[in-house]
Amino acid sequence: MENQTLTQNTTIGYVIGGGLEANLEVRLTVPPQEVQEGAFVVVDSNNWRFFGLVTDLRLTAIDEHYANQLNSERFAPHLADYLNEQTLFTNLAIMPVLMKEKGPDLASPDYSAWRREHTEDPSPMPVKTIPNHHAAVKLADRADIADIFGEENNKEIFRVGSTREQDHPVCLNLDKFVQRSSGIFGTTGSGKSFLARMILAGLIHADHASTLIFDMHNEYGIDSTSSDTGDAVVGLKGKFSNKVRLVGLGAGTKFGNQQPDYTLEVSHSDITVEDVLQLTQILNLKETTATTLDKLESEFHEDWFTRFMQMNVGAVVENEEGKTEPAPDSVAFWARQAGIHPGAAEALRSKLNRLFNRPYLTDAPASSGLNAIITSLQDKRHVVLSFGKYDNELDYLLVTNLITRKIRDTWERSTEDFHSGNGQEPRPLVVVVEEAHKLLNREMASQTIFSTIAREMRKYYVTLLIIDQRPSQIYDEVMSQLGTRISGSLGDENDINAVLSGLPGRGGLRGMLAKLQPKEEVLMLGWGVPMPIPIRSRRYDQQFWVDLLGNEHKPQTTKEFNSFLGMDDDSD
Amino acid sequence: MSETQKSIPIGKLLRAENSNFVAGCRVRELDTPALGALVKVKLEDQSEIYGLITNILINDDSLVRQLVSGVSIPTEYTADNRYNRNLPVEIHVLTVGYSQNGSISHRLPPRPPLSLDELHLCNPDELCHFTSLNEQSYLRHILRLLDQPVEELLAAHLRQAKSAHETADDSAWYEQACQKMITLLRDDYPRLTTVLDVLTDLERE
Repeated sequence: MENQTLTQNTTIGYVIGGGLEANLEVRLTVPPQEVQEGAFVVVDSNNWRFFGLVTDLRLTAIDEHYANQLNSERFAPHLADYLNEQTLFTNLAIMPVLMKEKGPDLASPDYSAWRREHTEDPSPMPVKTIPNHHAAVKLADRADIADIFGEENNKEIFRVGSTREQDHPVCLNLDKFVQRSSGIFGTTGSGKSFLARMILAGLIHADHASTLIFDMHNEYGIDSTSSDTGDAVVGLKGKFSNKVRLVGLGAGTKFGNQQPDYTLEVSHSDITVEDVLQLTQILNLKETTATTLDKLESEFHEDWFTRFMQMNVGAVVENEEGKTEPAPDSVAFWARQAGIHPGAAEALRSKLNRLFNRPYLTDAPASSGLNAIITSLQDKRHVVLSFGKYDNELDYLLVTNLITRKIRDTWERSTEDFHSGNGQEPRPLVVVVEEAHKLLNREMASQTIFSTIAREMRKYYVTLLIIDQRPSQIYDEVMSQLGTRISGSLGDENDINAVLSGLPGRGGLRGMLAKLQPKEEVLMLGWGVPMPIPIRSRRYDQQFWVDLLGNEHKPQTTKEFNSFLGMDDDSD
Repeated sequence: MSETQKSIPIGKLLRAENSNFVAGCRVRELDTPALGALVKVKLEDQSEIYGLITNILINDDSLVRQLVSGVSIPTEYTADNRYNRNLPVEIHVLTVGYSQNGSISHRLPPRPPLSLDELHLCNPDELCHFTSLNEQSYLRHILRLLDQPVEELLAAHLRQAKSAHETADDSAWYEQACQKMITLLRDDYPRLTTVLDVLTDLERE
């Protein structure tokens, strides 16, 4: 691969037509199998270099009759070969994306004059013009790709994978990636979780932003086993023990042999009316709920949850006249007093039983896990909140919203303090949400805090990283806010359209996205990458960690050294 | 040049223009010229004009018409008509190039040859030399022909030239000529496929 960095790639074709709107048409001069859809190509024309993506390969002929018959059967083999060479062609459709002034050739006498006018190398910009007819087209080499996507620096310029044709490294600027909300998509088994793990490892390693990971299925923090291969998968806590705080939901939560750094129990007083209202769908709450909850809150303030929990349903007492009436500690009694329909209040109380029973909701938590999470994030640490056994939808919705709302309040306050000169600049924060469609679907998006974060929180230093397998289920308003999208293979047409929504050149990218190889390839696109590009994803394995963190454990003994080199120790 | 490699005279010019000319020969001399053969006319200023034989025409006259319409023709009449007839066989030639001061060009000559100039059949060396130059661009002149079996002419010419080049240990010439012909004719599907059909037949013989 090193040699390829020194070698300029050879020409694969020349421009024969097209335009900015309709893509460039290129006559291919090498066998079509040497170029794939999505290949990153460069076109040199005069003093400019254009960068583009192959969006289609099409067989064509000088006259369709030549293509419609099997020439090798009709003519002598060598004549058929010559005829096919001269009459049958492959054309590429190339979507031009970027262009860059490269100046005259170094050996040209005009170069020095151009260099005086351009003391700094011009940067790539979106295409505004097109190359000449017959301009030579080449596969991008390592330097071209580094020119556009950056050179890996083991910090914020993070290698996500490599080009499919020539295995040149393709990087992602993580600082840019977290400046706006982003998404990682892919069906189950597309390698989405491994990709997310890698990018999270990159973010934690670069350490320019804190991350809060809502780990619904206990995948990211703790060491686990791959569901496909059965191989051990290292968790983020294991590799970044000092930087990452592993938090378990509920007292006494353990993950096999791994102990969380602390556990999270939520105080009843932390639960607001909004937290309950966004569970409307899952708890099947009625329209009257909001009125009842408002009344509870206005009467009991932050104790409303505890007080409502303590009320009894259906408790009655006999009055002086011998008639039964609601007991003073009953829901109906309170409802009558508050002017609420007792039936509605009792129904709500019954439905909220599911919440009252959650063991991690306590009246007086042993420690304030919620504040500890906020403090950890402010202290430039990263938090993985593992849901442990509480991995159902209700727990996920309730806890993620509750924490995120608290975060929003804190970060908004810090930002305002900072702007008024009373504090430090807030630490950028990325909130990582798995199964995002449960929180950000059309019905929920208006009620949960996450759509607000996706839309407005960038200015308060908080962005979202959503990880999901059904992007079509995510509310359009939220999808349109996602700056960078990295997608593995998606089967469903609606999901493909959702990932591409709001992006230019959708037609060409759709085919690319539909044909990604599961577990191997991903498409990076959107605001955070200079241009869309399908890549072969980096592997999440031992080598990944060695590349990222260096070889932490150097071999000390002969046996370890042999094992390190992959040789069996046969000394005994 | 060895005795066997001398150019063979095959007739004298009847009429000419820049792009083609016609020579005449006696009927009994007709055993040498062949369709597609490379011929040349040497001019007084020592320049030469090259052409390919595109057609050989045997005209009738009133005597032949009378003889043909007779019941039977005595053998001596036929022999007399073949050997003593004063009506020439016409050899039609397509101009494909010329040489001046020893340099050969595949363009048309500045002036046509003159009447009674002598027509010679090129020997294999001359054939190989002329056909190897300028990436065989002389083949383009053949495509100018109208109302003629161009495919057959091409096939006849390529067969002779291929044989001469192969004798000179140059088998690549024929491959290049096939590619050149495809380049020249690829925009004319029916014509090109007919030529390739003919060549395929030729190669399978």
